[in-house]
Amino acid sequence: MSDKPGQHTPLQLRERDDIVLRIEHLSVNFRVGKQTVQAVSDLSLDVARGETLGLVGESGCGKSTVGRAIMQLPPPTAGKVLFKGQDLGLLSGEALRQTRTALQMIFQDPISSLNPRRKVKDIVAEGLQIWGRPGQQARVREVMEAVGLDPDAVADRRPHQFSGGQCQRICIARSLALDPDVLICDEPVSALDVSVQAQILNLLEDMKQRYQLTMVFVAHNLAVVRNVSDRVAVMYLGKLCEIGDTGSVYARPAHPYTRALLASIPDMNPLSRHQQDGLPLLHGDLPSPANPPSGCRFRTRCPNAQALCAEKEPLMQVVRQTEQNEPQSKATGVVSDHFVACHFPL
Amino acid sequence: MTPPEFKEQPLLLDVRNLTIRLNSAAGLVHAVEDVSFVLREGQTLGIVGESGSGKSVMARSLMNLLPRRSVAQRQGCVVLSGREISALSERELQKLRGAQVAMIFQDPMTALNPVLTICVQVSEPLQQHLGLSKQAARQRTIELLDAVGIPDAANRVDQYPHQLSGGMRQRVVIAIAMACDPALLIADEPTTALDVTVQKQILDLLSRQQTQRRMGMLLITHDLGVVASRADIIAVMYAGRLVELAPATTLFGAMRHPYTEALFNSIPRISDPGHTRLHAIPGRPPQLHNPSPGCAFAPRCQYAQQRCHRETPPVVVAESSIVSAKPTEHLHACFFPVAKSASGEAN
Repeated sequence: MSDKPGQHTPLQLRERDDIVLRIEHLSVNFRVGKQTVQAVSDLSLDVARGETLGLVGESGCGKSTVGRAIMQLPPPTAGKVLFKGQDLGLLSGEALRQTRTALQMIFQDPISSLNPRRKVKDIVAEGLQIWGRPGQQARVREVMEAVGLDPDAVADRRPHQFSGGQCQRICIARSLALDPDVLICDEPVSALDVSVQAQILNLLEDMKQRYQLTMVFVAHNLAVVRNVSDRVAVMYLGKLCEIGDTGSVYARPAHPYTRALLASIPDMNPLSRHQQDGLPLLHGDLPSPANPPSGCRFRTRCPNAQALCAEKEPLMQVVRQTEQNEPQSKATGVVSDHFVACHFPL
Repeated sequence: MTPPEFKEQPLLLDVRNLTIRLNSAAGLVHAVEDVSFVLREGQTLGIVGESGSGKSVMARSLMNLLPRRSVAQRQGCVVLSGREISALSERELQKLRGAQVAMIFQDPMTALNPVLTICVQVSEPLQQHLGLSKQAARQRTIELLDAVGIPDAANRVDQYPHQLSGGMRQRVVIAIAMACDPALLIADEPTTALDVTVQKQILDLLSRQQTQRRMGMLLITHDLGVVASRADIIAVMYAGRLVELAPATTLFGAMRHPYTEALFNSIPRISDPGHTRLHAIPGRPPQLHNPSPGCAFAPRCQYAQQRCHRETPPVVVAESSIVSAKPTEHLHACFFPVAKSASGEAN
């Protein structure tokens, strides 16, 4: 990346052999009445094999749209989604259908994403039936056992007989049936009770190990994302603000928005109650994505905004660790994996 | 620590042995079972529980807001500022609602009437309870909107709810709740539908309003993090029962009920390194119709013993606080409370 400054490659994209998913300059526009809403604007990121990328931001920042655009649901307005080097946008209907079996999604509301009239075994087997895979029954049993459902007891039941947590297990079993490479989780635990949430997070972690999954984990809960992710990408109003190694981003947020998000998390320590009011707080609400602010989109709520922020859109730059230099484009080594789009990073 | 002045504060709300059973297609739902607590003026009581733990039913029943047909049984007494209110007529309750007790609900989208302007909705309690003229009520509305941090209140006052964002709508709901200077505010999941940054704004706003007005507040939430730093006293509910009650610092210092401990441990922490294995609670919350005998948490409890499956544990004072000077500080309902030697010699 830094080897080729002349090219238009975004800085945060890595040059590694094991990149499974690579998104370049992704934009998604929606027409709402007479207006065009830019849900995602010029977003680039990549996910390496076996990695979990957490995608966080407030509601309306476009994080779910990114997840869907990867699946070409709907196809992005501009930009590319490369899966193992292949541009999904260039594939025609049938080829796209074939390729997409390797990418699976699970959604926020597990109950409404299951057909209430079908039996659990048919729901889980549907993908296998469509593709006429051999050994369907054995495969259905296997994934149901993997997600902690007893196939003999539940196979003939219907979704309404299960709790939200159980339904999410069924959704996960369904997504695993076709042996995908990438699992896109769109707020998989936010509809669940706290005590059940931990079960599902642990399960996803187990499934990731067992089936060597690469995950994109979309969530608004920063503590959940901290727990599951290797890298985290922070979005604001359709733009990528900050991306990098989870530990580094959470320990030293470089974007004022990331810092504000982290400061907003309620503290589990009752003794901290008097400190809370002193922390930097975001004022106001998210501006309309139909008419985003000029320059940096966060400037209207940013405590550090200056004149430059309104004029020029900030580009991604490396967040310098204490005395480290430019990151090398070597694959592994401990180089700075932390990028921020801000004129005045913290 | 509970500020010492609370000890001298008069009782605002005294709920004793509240039991509520609801009708449902599947049978009688034991929504709230024998819940007792007190709230003093200016205090915040955080009520924590998962969905179905009975916390919202309990809060609504305080003001008799449950649909009459669905309530099969209601026992116990609710004393507000020295006055028993559970037997009041609908007309008398109507005088209390909004004036002395205000409520904020989870979803600011549906709490406001979409076809009425903000002005009409905020001034309604002002005209009803305080008898202000339309003109005076409008003036007061603008002041209230200003106080809850709505910018440009003088112009916003004539807008409709759909023109405001979720956070702004919740501010309007708070303004309505504050309109008559209530003595007690019941906030039922006030920030669950909001983003974290807005959640913090709203919680800060609520604490500010509470301090200014010396209001008592019931803060109902499923999020232990929300109550940890906001509530003076925390009550944990499970399956319709109060399982633990203690001042926030005491509770977080020494949890006695296994459910509180398990809930606390199952939450991912921002301070933990990535991929930390979470301590999930096995199973799921019980159904509340036809409850089986014994402690409701026993089937999921790692410390459960024979007795837990047979008898329902009563609410008792934690042993450590009997020794200390303030004996009613820490209550729990468990035969074998945690944070002491595992031998279970509590009984």
